[in-house]
Amino acid sequence: MKKNWWKILGPLLVLYSFGMGLLTPLKTGISDIRPQFISAGDTVKMEVTGYNSFYKAAEGQLRAWLKLDQEHALAAQAIEVKDDRHLVLHFVLPPHLPQDADQADASLLIDSPVDGAHVYPGGIRISQKKTNVAPGSGAAWNAPIEKLHEKDAITFPFRNILGETIRNTYYHVPMWFAMFLLFIGALVHSINFLRRKDLKNDRWAAALTTTGLVFGAMGLATGAMWATYTWGEPWSGDVKQNMTAIGLLIYGAYFVLRFAIEDPERKARISAVYNIFAFSTLIPLLYVIPKLTDSLHPGAGGNIAFGSEDLDNTMRLVFYPAIIGWTLIGLWASQLLYRMNTLREKLLWGH
Amino acid sequence: MIRTVARTFACFALLALSTTTLMAQQEADFMRSMGKMYVVVAVIAILFIGMVLYLYSLDRKLTKLENQISHHDEAETTH
Repeated sequence: MKKNWWKILGPLLVLYSFGMGLLTPLKTGISDIRPQFISAGDTVKMEVTGYNSFYKAAEGQLRAWLKLDQEHALAAQAIEVKDDRHLVLHFVLPPHLPQDADQADASLLIDSPVDGAHVYPGGIRISQKKTNVAPGSGAAWNAPIEKLHEKDAITFPFRNILGETIRNTYYHVPMWFAMFLLFIGALVHSINFLRRKDLKNDRWAAALTTTGLVFGAMGLATGAMWATYTWGEPWSGDVKQNMTAIGLLIYGAYFVLRFAIEDPERKARISAVYNIFAFSTLIPLLYVIPKLTDSLHPGAGGNIAFGSEDLDNTMRLVFYPAIIGWTLIGLWASQLLYRMNTLREKLLWGH
Repeated sequence: MIRTVARTFACFALLALSTTTLMAQQEADFMRSMGKMYVVVAVIAILFIGMVLYLYSLDRKLTKLENQISHHDEAETTH
């Protein structure tokens, strides 16, 4: 058991990622605002729906702002607390926006000593009749945003649309990391086979590719599930999805090739060369082409990943162990396949 | 090998399609309730099913190997 410690470590890390990933609460957020289209000069009653909020406990200490940019913000005149989840904010909008434009997008910022400051980013559209705006007419937008509270607790970020599904970062993304690491292992074994002509390397390459493909299939299925409730449909023909499917099909052909060749030496040689080819197509398909065009997927074109908004330090505490854990489980699964195929080769060919 | 890989893919495609379309039609509100928490549950269920399918295919391969071994033994005792 001493040399198999990693077979225990892998499942333990995954178990930890399930526990931490599911039990840690999300930060307080704002899930809905009504109305979202307002006009300069209006008096607005804005109904706010909070998420994981405790507004009752902070009644009287709440503050709220409509924020246009770093310098321009408008404080709420009054804040009614309906219950823990619902607020009504009263704003008296000045007759003009500071900008000479038809409209501007504002964010809503709420500060609570209980939940900390939370924001609804950029979802409120303020329109104005474009007149000759006199200089200084935006002077009313000068409420200072200061002394914001920060909640002192272990939480994951709240993101609109994502909601609780931000936790899928620990279950969907590690599939791809594990797949990639297993494919790298298979690549190394394929190269080593071509150098040393040892069938052991070929069996390792085949086993690692099989498990890598299982992880890829799980990544694709979990991605489709996640996409259904965030992008609107399981398969939206997004460039990241399409290219990944092509990449996995190219890897799938590796097994078609192996199945078609009888002679073990020839099979090993040709499939080793094919594996190197398959890996070299995977990088542009998964990581280059999606970056060149527009994609809904984080980390692809027009959509950054691993920014502090998507993956903060608390998430890293769960995310990295999950990657290591799933990779170790993948190695274990590959080793089982390798050992079984070694036994079969011994039986059939005597080596 | 190729057949199991193809089957795994088909299973996942079917699973993803059937569950998501079914849920999207009938239980959209359920899946979206509690801040879409059940999407996370479904994702974890997919991982579980994936591991079970892997075990199933390994089981079949082992059965095949066991059969080969028993044939092998029979051949040795008759000769």
